[in-house]
Parts: sequence; C-alpha cells; structure tokens
Amino acid sequence: MTLLESILTGLDEARRHLGQTLLALAGVVLGTASIVTVLALFGGQAQLTQQYLDEVGGAGTLIAGDAPRSLAPTARELASERLTYRDARYLRARSTTLEALAPGWELNLPYRANGRDFSGQVAGAVPDYARINAIRPMAGRWLSDLDLETRSRVMVMGWKYADSLFDDAASAVGRLVNIGGKQFTVVGVMEREVFRFASWEDNALEYRNERAYIPLSTAFSQFAQTDNLSFMTLKAKPGMVEQAEDEVRALLYARHGVEDFELRPSGSFGGGGESGQFLLLFNYIFLVVGAISLFTGGIVIANILLASVVERVRDFGTRMALGATPGGVFTHVLAEALVVTVLGGIVGLAIGAGLTGTVARVMQLPAAVTPGIATLALGTSVVVGLAAGLYPAVRAGRLSPVEALRYG
Amino acid sequence: MAALIEARGLTKTYRLGQVDVQALRGADVDVARGEFVAIIGPSGSGKSTLMHLLGCLDTPTAGRYVLDGEEVGGLHGKRLAAVRNRKVGFVFQTFNLMPRLSIEENVALPLKYRGGIARRERRARAVAGLEALGLGHRIGHRPEELSGGERQRVAIARALVGGPAILMADEPTGNLDSKAGAEVMRTFEALHAAGNTVILVTHDPNVAARAERTIEMADGRIVA
Repeated sequence: MTLLESILTGLDEARRHLGQTLLALAGVVLGTASIVTVLALFGGQAQLTQQYLDEVGGAGTLIAGDAPRSLAPTARELASERLTYRDARYLRARSTTLEALAPGWELNLPYRANGRDFSGQVAGAVPDYARINAIRPMAGRWLSDLDLETRSRVMVMGWKYADSLFDDAASAVGRLVNIGGKQFTVVGVMEREVFRFASWEDNALEYRNERAYIPLSTAFSQFAQTDNLSFMTLKAKPGMVEQAEDEVRALLYARHGVEDFELRPSGSFGGGGESGQFLLLFNYIFLVVGAISLFTGGIVIANILLASVVERVRDFGTRMALGATPGGVFTHVLAEALVVTVLGGIVGLAIGAGLTGTVARVMQLPAAVTPGIATLALGTSVVVGLAAGLYPAVRAGRLSPVEALRYG
Repeated sequence: MAALIEARGLTKTYRLGQVDVQALRGADVDVARGEFVAIIGPSGSGKSTLMHLLGCLDTPTAGRYVLDGEEVGGLHGKRLAAVRNRKVGFVFQTFNLMPRLSIEENVALPLKYRGGIARRERRARAVAGLEALGLGHRIGHRPEELSGGERQRVAIARALVGGPAILMADEPTGNLDSKAGAEVMRTFEALHAAGNTVILVTHDPNVAARAERTIEMADGRIVA
C-alpha cells in the first residue's frame, strides 16, 4: 500500500468513525476557539492600552514634577528653588534630545460665571502644551505666544466646565469668567476628551475636561509670587526617550544641586496612572489565561486521540493480519489525527472569531482575529494534534499483530 | 502432493515479567497442498501459538519455517506483512470485521493492502467472492446488519479474496449457534473440496472430526 493510500485510509476512517471523530473534534474545536478568543481579546486589550497611553501623552512623553520634600531636608535641598519656569527655559536652551517642552502650573481656585460658582482647577500652560498632548479647541482658539508675552487675561475652558457653566459649551467663547476674583475672557473651549475602557466604564479622561487653561505668565503674575512649576511635560525626539530622561535628569541636577524632582513617563502619572497600572496587570492575566487554555486544548486533543487508538487496537490487529504493514498503520493513525486537528482547528477558528466578535461588540473592545492569530491558533492545534497523534501512531505501528488481536 | 508447510523445531518463548513462558517447545509440522487439518488441544496447549506462527502473525523464537517454498521463519515487520497478505487468509472466532465498512469494503481490504490493484477491480473481486459464498444479496450492507453465520462467511470471503496459499481459522464456529456453525463448516468443506488448503484450530471434537487429519497439542508439544 502506498503512502497516499495509507493517508486516504486514515481520512476515510476518520469520516466513518464520525462519532469518535466528532468527540475528538470537540476537544480540538474548544482548544482552538479558546486560544483564538483569548489571543484576540488580549490583542484588543493591548491596543486599548496603547490608545489610552497615546491619549494621555503617548509614548516618548516624560513628565517632570517636584519630589516630596524630605522630613529632614539638607542644606542643598533647602537652598534649591525646586522646579521653576527658569528651569524650563534652561532645558529648552540646552537640551539636544527634546523635541518640545511645556511647563505647567496648577491651582484650585473659585470660579464664578453666569450666576454660578464652584471651586475647580486652573492650569497655567504654554502653546506647546496642546501640541504635545494632541488636544484641540472645539470652539474659539488655543493659547498663543502673544497671550504669553502680554500676560493677557484669557482662558481656554475644558469642555466639562464650559458645558456646566454655559449649558452649551461652544457658547462660552467670548464670555467673562471670574477666577480667584479676577476676570478672564474665554477665547476657546477644548474638545471633549473621552476614553472608556468598556462601554459601562466612566470616562477615564474626564479629569482633563474639568479645568481651564490660562497663559502660564498670567498665572504667575496673577496668582503666584514665584515661578514655581507644578509639572513639566517633555516630549523626546523620536526614539530618544531614555537619552532624554538621562539628559534632563543631569541638567536639572546641575541647576538644583540635589535630586528634588521626579521624572516619569507619561501615562503612569496623574489621573491615568492607576488605570494604566491596572491595565498592565490585566494584560498579564490575559496572557496567563491564554497560555493555560492553549495547554489545556493540547491535552484534550492528545487524550482523545490516544483513547480513540486504544479503542481500536483490535481493529489494527485485524488489519495487520490482512497484510497492513507497521508503517501503513502508523500513517493511518497519524492521518486520522491530522484530519481531526485540521478540521477542528478550522471550526474552532470560526467559533473563536464569532465569540471574539460578540465580546468585542458588547465590551466595545477593538479586538479582532488577525491573520497572525489565526495562523498561530491553527498552527498550534495542528502541531499539538500531530504531537498528540505521533505517540499513538508509533504505538499502533509497533503493535505485534498477535497482541493487538488479543487486546480487549 | 507438494509440501505447502514445512516447519522444524518451531519454538516460541514469551516473557511474562521475570518469567519465560514456553508456549511452544519445538513443533515439527508438515502440511501438504490441499489438506484439511485441524489443530486441537485444551486451552494453554499451544495450539493458538502454533497457528500464529504458521500464519506469520508471529515470529518463532527458534526453528525453521518454510511456507509455500519460501523461508519465512526469520522475517519481520513489512516483509512478514507482505507474506501474510499474499499467502495466508485468516478467519477469526469473533469475525473481526470493520464495523464501519460495508461488507464488500471489508472483503476488499487485503487487496487494498497488497497495493497496485485499482479500486474498481478490488470491488469487483470482492463482490465476486461474496457472491460465490451466497452473500450477493447482502452487498452494500454493514456487518451489524448480518447474522453471525453470514458475518463469518463475509470473513471467509475476505480471507479468500487475495488467493492465499492457505486458509487459517481460529475457532471459526466458537461464536455461532449450532445451525450457523454447521453452515460455516459446510463452507470450509466445500472450499477444501475445491482444492483449498485449510487449517483450523478448535477445541470442539465435532469440528475437528470434519477435518482429514488432526494435530493434537498438549503442553506446547505435538502429541499426536
């Protein structure tokens, strides 16, 4: 009997033992489907994390801030002026690794406008801030260099504040708002920033809609005695994040004489920090679950194939008595394993894709079964199936006809 | 009559854990072409072992075995499988038909394992074999749809389809009622009458009495 005929016999056998084949198929189908679903959802989750990090500043963005003061400060620490606007200008002049830099200042002040009042955040900013953070006004304009030079009393409102003070966010432009007892003219309203990790989750970026931006120079002249900064957003040149971090650390240390500042990548800072960490944990959990389901699927395939061979040892004995060669029996069993795993893999892939689509729709995840995932899942089930089929096939091929006939 | 089987000092030793079990202790067997021989003896006498060796299902630990002019005592694996396929037709006590194959597919199996025979011809020969044994009306059926006697005749057709030198049957009536058993025995007698060499293993004296000659075994030796 030729190799081709052995394979055809195996395929034929798989078709005729439809019950057993379906059982084995179910194992492969479940294994593959779980691999596909977990990988696709994992991919979606990772993509979501990336999107979130891009929203809050993106890769390549660093944030500098004051470190907490020590309990027993040294003389150098006491002498340091902490992070100042002058530091920012110094960095801008000296740095070779930074593409842009935005010093920032924050304070909570009373707001009053349109007959309402509340207390909220005011941020002193520079024009580059909007570019680094990729935010745009939905109405009016953003802060300009001229605003900074003339220390003008203008403000750009976050969407939420504009909306709650004036009912219609866009209509805030041109209105007067009193903050901290001083009148500011609203020149722009920012677009609403929205990011949800799932449809039922709160807007993870809402904190960025709840503030108003005024020129940094105005902030200092109106509300502060010093030019101390609350934070500095630093954008590194492409591919130079680590160099930028080292350089900025060195430059600031040279000016302060002590490391009284902190440098952290954006996304692990401020309001998004906790969610970012949580996401990382979530991703690891997904990865572990994926590996386990992959392994479980493999074991299921191996078990069922082995059982189906053991069940038919006597049949193989008979076939050998009729003239089947050991090699023929080996090929026969392996071909059966192969047809089961390939078929099961394809069906599992389809089910996994359906499941992914459903979960992605319900959870509004950008999850999708990519060609890479499909290849990986199919490849895994075929490799696992072959590996699982190899042992039974070798065993079946090594059977002595007499022992096989006596079996069971 | 020409000698079909010529075996000298056939010995088979099995290893059961730490113990060597001598299932066959040097058997000399001669069977002429066209003979009808029954191997008899109580269980454990070595009659099945002898048949397995004569049928090339197993290899002897020691001894010489010439089957149809070919020295086969030292063959293994693929070559022994080829000898089985060409020279020996087996009939088992439990029929051993493939339950998912139709009866003509069952009968055609030895031809499939022989290789080089077209599917159409395999089927034609299987159908002819079944018709010769009066099973023409059962073609297309599965084994489970047949009676025990019919199943055993399908098995006989399968054993014969490759034109073997020798037909071997291990307790062929053991799983049949007396009427079906008698019918199967008539089939063997008819095949013998037509010139086939038949060796059957049995512990039933009535079955053995139908053969021309009996080889009686006890404790791994031929005693008569």
